[in-house]
Amino acid sequence: MTALDRVPESLVSADSAAGAVHLTVDANIYPLDAVFAAAFTFMKRHWLFVDRPDADHYKVTLAAKDGDDDLGSIAGDFANELLSCAYRQRLAKESRATVEAVTFQAMAGAMGPPSLEELEDFDFSDDAFEDPLGIAQSWEEKYAKKDKTADDDGGDAATSDGDKTDDTDDGDAS
Amino acid sequence: MKALIKVGYGCNDHCSFCHTLDVRHIDAQADEVSLKIKRAKALGHSMVVLSGGEPTIRPELLTWAKLVASLDMDFGLVTNGRVLSYPDVVEKLLANRLRYVYLSLHGGNARIHNRLVRSEAFDQTYGALDQLSGRGLDLSANCVVTKQNVDHLCDLVDAMLPYPDATLKFSMVEPKGGGKLLFDTLIPRVEYAAAKVCEALEYAASNVSAAGPTMSHGGFPLCLMTGYEHQYADLKTDRFWTMIEVGEPDYFPVDDKNKLQPADKCRGCSLSGPCPGLYRVYHDVYGSSELTPVRTRLRSNSFNYTFDARVRPSPDGSCPLLRIGVTPWDYGRHLFVANGDRIARFNADTRDFSDQEIADIKHERGQIYLDVSTKSAPDDFARDLVLLQRSERCDGCPERAHCTGMFEPAPQSVFERDDELVRGWLSELTGEVLDIGFGECRYDQILQPLVEREIIRYTGIDPDIAHVDRAKAERPWADLHGSGLVEFTSAKRFDALLVLRSWNHFADPRAALDRLLTLANPSATVIIVDNEAFGLARTRKQSERGEGGNAAFEHYRNDSADDVHGLTAELDLELLDRHVVGPGTSNQWALRYRVGSGA
Repeated sequence: MTALDRVPESLVSADSAAGAVHLTVDANIYPLDAVFAAAFTFMKRHWLFVDRPDADHYKVTLAAKDGDDDLGSIAGDFANELLSCAYRQRLAKESRATVEAVTFQAMAGAMGPPSLEELEDFDFSDDAFEDPLGIAQSWEEKYAKKDKTADDDGGDAATSDGDKTDDTDDGDAS
Repeated sequence: MKALIKVGYGCNDHCSFCHTLDVRHIDAQADEVSLKIKRAKALGHSMVVLSGGEPTIRPELLTWAKLVASLDMDFGLVTNGRVLSYPDVVEKLLANRLRYVYLSLHGGNARIHNRLVRSEAFDQTYGALDQLSGRGLDLSANCVVTKQNVDHLCDLVDAMLPYPDATLKFSMVEPKGGGKLLFDTLIPRVEYAAAKVCEALEYAASNVSAAGPTMSHGGFPLCLMTGYEHQYADLKTDRFWTMIEVGEPDYFPVDDKNKLQPADKCRGCSLSGPCPGLYRVYHDVYGSSELTPVRTRLRSNSFNYTFDARVRPSPDGSCPLLRIGVTPWDYGRHLFVANGDRIARFNADTRDFSDQEIADIKHERGQIYLDVSTKSAPDDFARDLVLLQRSERCDGCPERAHCTGMFEPAPQSVFERDDELVRGWLSELTGEVLDIGFGECRYDQILQPLVEREIIRYTGIDPDIAHVDRAKAERPWADLHGSGLVEFTSAKRFDALLVLRSWNHFADPRAALDRLLTLANPSATVIIVDNEAFGLARTRKQSERGEGGNAAFEHYRNDSADDVHGLTAELDLELLDRHVVGPGTSNQWALRYRVGSGA
């Protein structure tokens, strides 16, 4: 195995004889779904293997079907695609509720126009009040994230119910 | 009447004593709340109050307020008030009939309040008072009293001084949710907390002008709030009728089932009607040792069910309660009466009797009557009152056990029948007779002939001197004295001692029995008769007349036959006859004893 130029050997190594390149991916940063998504884009021109050498890492092996020996470019392209997939997945998770709502509304429209009775109940005004200070944010959303480090899903601050069992002697949140 | 809807259990604060600690992740769907608002209107509520969790963090808040107003109901909030620090939110809510705000404020400064709610919330919560005061609202600031703020309540009084139209309420923390989890950390001894609240109320009385703010309290046994009993407030005094939790299919009446009045202390207490008692969980931990029952005050012996509304009969003749829904109606305080095709709904909102007492009187004792008189206070029960009994249509109904029930006038006259028993006992008397608290002289038709035939010699005592003087002219055959039992002295010993509807007038019933026995010959007859409490179904005018009349309380208790007999266990009295109160009887009980030969 040899290192590639400008890439740490601990992350990427090349097997010139086999025409393959190995990437070591931190599982705490890159979700497995992002690894698969990135791998999928390379499947047409490469053979790919995904392995898990330990609990904290994946190992992705790529080999060009046509014997292309520019292993550095293969590794670099895959790394960029992996990062892109991971970021897209994070955005999708954060905006899932909005996407679902918009999609549902679009689908509802596809089911035909509302009846007069439905229109009678439809409130056209914008009733949600503005909350510039974020007062209406739940306590768990506001305070629980600050206690969480990156989780197994690639860095999203996981929301938990945030209930803190008080272990102080006077009921203060510690 | 208000309906309380829990819209979810999430919140932007996290109070140490949070009731919904384990369910904060649960929110009701918007549609569920909308349906419940419509149901509140259908049931006849005049206001919908949203609660939680924290209702103002829901984005549907203004939509719901609009819906409530569109249904011609007022809108209210139980809230920490933080979102109400936005002026435009308050304006929009006011435009949609916001009329009631019950806001949580647990300290007079940020240090204490924020410590308890575990958020940087004080400026917003206190700031909401600025937005809300002076807007014509029914506005309350509720302080939950815990170990952390119990010694700082006067600061809160000072903090409320700028808001004379508000009410500041001190509420004992409930051991529920966070309060139960952190019991030792949060829950003060109720006696200590009540004393500190009384200090704050006294401080307010000295420092707050007549313009306000007003003060109230809740969750403290009234025997610990001497002098401030009238400032008690709870959901019922705030005119809440029903509430509904997330996921529940229909409304339930607000109740006090999370509290109790321990029998070992509270039985016979003059304050048992309006008193909230102790939280059950608190009692499980500390018992009733802090309670100091009051037995020296007079209390009512009856309460009114006032006419509410007519009820449309079901077209198919089935029970209208099953059609309308059983759960929203209070088991004791609501009364449905059917008379032929007409069905009326009545409601008892009295605080002279507790929920449990009213339910017992209605269902266990069967002592509710229709007032068919025009008097402010019925005094001839046989003519003035018609017994109401559970309808036969309730028999076999699967909802019977928890339904408020349908009642109908009973055909039989129960008062004369039950009094016939006492008349029979009196007709058998011989020898020296002492009538204690002779009052109305109802049995002269029996006693006078016995005196004239020299079968008995009659002595009567009554503490009402003026009444005794009048009675002397009307009863020349009787030896009458103006005296109470304890202070009465006589060289005679009596063969029969009568306590005829004067038992509940004794401040100390055990002392009365002891004194009775000192005046009795061996083998003397003792007859004790009195009435249990009862409910009267009345029109609004009748209720107004009755409650505005001159009749005063005369009873220290509303004892039952069992209450009296329980006191005789250690006395030299042999029970000869007992008539108890129950469904199908009048509210009069009667006991006849023979004094033992050792007296």
